[in-house]
Formats: sequence, structure tokens, C-alpha cells
Amino acid sequence: MQLRLEKRAQPSRTMLYAAPILAVLLTMVVGAILFSVIGYDGIGAVLEIFTRPLTNPLKWQDLGVKAAPLIIIGVGLSIAYRANVWNIGAEGQYVAGALGGTAVALLTMKMQGPWILPAMILFGILAGMALAAIPAFLKTQFDVNEILTTLMLNYAVVQLLYFLLRTVWKDPMGFSFPKTPLFTASQSLPYLWPGTILHWGVPIALLVAVLAWFVMSRSVFGFQVRVVGSAPHAARYGGFSAKRAIWLVMLVSGGLAGLAGVLEAAGPFRQLVPAFPTGYGFTAIIVAFLGRLNPLGVVIAGIVLAISYVGGEVAQTTMGLPSAATGIFQGMLLFFLLAGDVLVRYRVRAVSTRASGETA
Amino acid sequence: MTIEFAIAIIFAIVLVASPILLAGLGELVVEKAGVLNLGVEGMMLIGAVTGFAVTSSFGSPWLGTLAAAMAGATASMIFGFLTLTLAANQVATGLALTIFGGGFSALAGKAFLGKTVPAFTQLFPSPLATDPIWRVVFGYSPLVYFSLAMCIGVAWFLKSTRAGLILRAVGENDLSAHSIGYSVTGVRYAAVAFGGAMAGIAGSMFSLVLTPIWAEGLTAGRGWIALALVVFAAWKPYRLLVGAYLFGAVMTLEVHAKAAGGVFSALPSELWAALPYLMTIIVLVIISLRRSGNSVAPACLGKPFLPTI
Repeated sequence: MQLRLEKRAQPSRTMLYAAPILAVLLTMVVGAILFSVIGYDGIGAVLEIFTRPLTNPLKWQDLGVKAAPLIIIGVGLSIAYRANVWNIGAEGQYVAGALGGTAVALLTMKMQGPWILPAMILFGILAGMALAAIPAFLKTQFDVNEILTTLMLNYAVVQLLYFLLRTVWKDPMGFSFPKTPLFTASQSLPYLWPGTILHWGVPIALLVAVLAWFVMSRSVFGFQVRVVGSAPHAARYGGFSAKRAIWLVMLVSGGLAGLAGVLEAAGPFRQLVPAFPTGYGFTAIIVAFLGRLNPLGVVIAGIVLAISYVGGEVAQTTMGLPSAATGIFQGMLLFFLLAGDVLVRYRVRAVSTRASGETA
Repeated sequence: MTIEFAIAIIFAIVLVASPILLAGLGELVVEKAGVLNLGVEGMMLIGAVTGFAVTSSFGSPWLGTLAAAMAGATASMIFGFLTLTLAANQVATGLALTIFGGGFSALAGKAFLGKTVPAFTQLFPSPLATDPIWRVVFGYSPLVYFSLAMCIGVAWFLKSTRAGLILRAVGENDLSAHSIGYSVTGVRYAAVAFGGAMAGIAGSMFSLVLTPIWAEGLTAGRGWIALALVVFAAWKPYRLLVGAYLFGAVMTLEVHAKAAGGVFSALPSELWAALPYLMTIIVLVIISLRRSGNSVAPACLGKPFLPTI
């Protein structure tokens, strides 16, 4: 007897939705074992990371604030990945968005008015799009692999951030620390309710997800993206331009990452500091996959990953668990999800060894 | 420019180029077998922390390097199982391996922050190895000579051995290789394990030779540059050697730019830091311009293979 994978005629819908749940559960179990092995209270750590942010109402706001950028970036990436365009430069596009918004903020330091924040957001989106346009151009014109170009630009943009903070954008009153001045009231994202840390980025994230879901499932654009990704030949016969799809999904995913960046800069940070890039652009890759490349699924996945961040911080203070533990959980989550996905496309069959002995 | 200064620069170039060469050679073999493993950076970090931990605990950098190779190979088997046995998406799995490797190495390395490790002993007798001129030939870490030997070895293996021919066949036409009776999955597992071991050694070169301390994320994206260099080299080991040394030169410029004075010191240090990454993009464009249509990539690169009969 041996187990053999057999291709399903149709991908299993049950498994499509069961796989992420299975992946989260397996991550918790294996995480508990792993952390017990290296000398922590494994079960306690897992409970602390995955349940404490949910059971403690004080942490709900943190969840919203952490989930918002993950959802916004994740929605963009889910659209790109649907078209088989591997934008892994969201981290750089996120930073670019913050740079675009901050450029406007520094020019309007002495001004006031309700137009300033929208102008910052607009320039943030445009900056994210501009950075994503480079790999889109190289991919469509010269057939250069977008995985490598988007990734390389991440490193380059972070250096640009360091350069600006060290030189022209440095706060003259900042005791020579490399950081910009604090944004003014007209340049900051307002809170939803006074006394909370929930800012307008949270409802914007939900709005982005719903809009994206509508566009992807109900519009010709969404249909074209899906066809270009899943059946490139059919797309060519259907007259859909693959190049156009690459441009569109790169601009959309770059623009959304830029939006997340400018919202983060104008919201929780209210200035730019060297520690601004925190890896949301990479975590959003996991969010996109966990959300099944579906904008509404991305909302749930964004919350799950936000739980792991917030819970990781809780475990850091209460149990002394290192911050790197979050990365391990996130990596494992993606491993288990990808392993579980095999059940979507294949059926596990037990076959007798004698019958298949020749080719096994 | 004095001769000593020139030698110091050559010495530095060779040193920073070697881990990229090692990781690139591993990935080259993996891709020749038709598999795209984007987890090089993660496997390098796992190798770096393992090599450092073992060397720090047992006092032998040789043992540390061996452990790093085994750790890299073990990590690559996670990737192998997911992509080869379960036919998972290779791009996503490689990314997961890089994220996991970053977290794992940071956690495992926490106990070794601030510690030091004993250095490799010189391979050649000290009059040669420490001579101010001749050290440019004889004075490197043993891992540098290892990387050169592996370059010759991999080139010979792929070009002149039967096993190398089978590996290339598996990468070019998996169905044919399967129907002749070769185990496509088996060959790919072996290639992925080799790639993992090489990435592990490359990582240990960072923590044992280059820095030599443990710091979170100390490979700083060099694994990704190694991946790009494989494309740059058009999957040819000797071109990979040239590419790695070219990049080593750019990275060394960054360090020596200030000292050199003149136009170099006028440029901001951040530009130098970004240069290897920007250069990678430019190089990729140049390759695709020269390629003009017919690709030299292994035909089955990145495609999953599951035997159906």
C-alpha cells in the first residue's frame, strides 16, 4: 500500500476553504511543540499569541491598526498573483508611498486645510504606482523577471529613505536624529473616535477590500485578470492583452501598497523614521495566499496575521518570547497552507504497491 | 594607489564574492534540474546561525561549516517535500522558506549575540599566507578555495558526467526523462538538497569569515543576488564566477569609496549600498536584450511534475 496523489477533475471547494483553517490549526500545534522543544512553555506561548489578542478587548484596537495595512497591501497582491504576476516588492512600494506622502507633508508644513491630507494620500498612491511601474515596464518591454526586479527595488528604496532622512528631510530641531519633523494636525490621519488608536485607515482597508472584491468578481477587468493568470493561451485567443493585464495589476498592487504606506506614515507614525519599514509588505504575501487570493478572504487573513503580530508582542512582554517567533509562525503558516492546497487540486488515494510497483 | 592598497581591494572582492558564488552554484544545479527555489536567502540564514552556533560551542569552524551544510540541506527538504512531493507552488514555497529562515535564525541566534568564534586556520604555510603580496593568492579562508573548487566541480559534473547529463535531462524534459526510467522526483530532491547545502555553507561564510559574528539578517539580501546571478550567468558555472566577482567588486567599492577620495567620496553612502541591487536590475535588462527571443533557461524550470502512470 502506498499513498498517491490523483488530480481532481475540479478543484475541491470544500478544501479551498478548509485548507487555511487547517493550516492555522497545524501552525498552532507544531508551534507549541517547537517552542516546548527549545525550552519555552509551548502551549502557553501559542495560547498567548493566538487567543490573548482576541480575549483582551484592550487589544482589539491594535488588531485593527495592524490589520489595516496588511489588508490593503494583501488585496493588491491578491489581484497581482491572480494574474500570475509575482510582485514581491510591496515592501518597497509601501515605503515609496510613505515617501510620496511625506514629500507633500514637508512642503505644506506651514499651511492648513482639509485638502492637505488627501493630497498626501494621492501622492502616496502615485509614488507606489511609480515604483511598481519600473518592473511592469521591464517585464512588458524586455521580459525581465518581475520577482527579482520588484525584490531588488525594496532594498534600493529603503536606502533612499535612509538618504533622505540623513540629509534633506532631517528635522533641524531633531537633535541630529535621522527623522522628519512631526506632521501637523492637517497632515495626520484623524482617529475614528477620540481616546482610541483606531484611525481612518481601518475603514479605508475594508472599503478597499469590498471594492476589489466587486471589481474582481463582477467586472470585465476582474475576469480578464483571472483568465490571463489561469489560462494565458485562452486569454490570447480571447483578445485580452497580457501586457495590459501586467501593467494594470502592477499599478493596482503598487498603488495599494503606496496607500498603505502613506496611511501608516500619516496615522500611527506621524513622521518618517528609519524604522518605518517593518516588513508589512512581506507579511502581506502570506495574507494574500491565506485569503485565497480573494479580497474578502484577505480581510480575514489580515486579521489572523494581525493576531500573530499583536499576540507576538504580548508574548514578548509576558513570556520573554523573542520577536522573531512571529516570523517562525508566519513561515510555518504559509508552509502548511501550501501543503494543504495540494488537497484542493489532488485527491489522496491509497494504491496497492503491486499494481504500481513498476513506476513508483 | 599603492600595491598594498590594490591587494587589499582584491582580497576584499574575493572574500565578499565567494558566498554569492557558493549559493549561486547550488541554485544553478537546482535550476538545471528544473526547480526554482527562491528560499536561498532563508537557507543561507539558517546555515549562518547553525555554523556560528556549532563553531561557538565546539570551537571548530570546520565542524561549523559541515553543520551549516547539513542545516541548509535539511531546510531545503521542507521546500523539496512541498514542491516535489506535494506539487505546491514553487515561488510561494520558496518565499515561505525565506520568511521561515529569517524567523528561525533570529530565534536560534539570540543566545549567540555578541559571542565570537575561532577563525579558520590558514590552508597554506604562514610565510606564503601572510606575505603582504602573496596573500592575494594564498591567504584566503579555506572556504574561498572551496568555492573555486566547487565551481570547477559543478561545471565538470554538468558537462562531462552521466549523472550531470541525467540532471540536465530532467530539467529540460521531465516527461522524456521519466519515460526512459529516470526518477525525476529523486533527481530533483538530490539537486534541491545540494542547493540547500551550498546555501548553508554560503551563509556560514558570512557568520564565520566575513563578519565574523552573528547578527539578525546578516546576509542582507545576498541570497537574492545569487539568484539573479544564476540568470545573469545563463546557467553556466564559469560565467557565474565572473558575475559573482563583478558584484564583489561593486560591493567592495562601497567600502573603499570614502577612502579613495575624489568623485567617489562625493556620492552618498546610501547610493553605494543600493548599487548592487540596482546593478542586478540593469544586468537583468542587458541579458534579456541580448537573449532576443530564445530563452536559455531550463525548459521545465518551475513546473511541477507528478508521475501519472
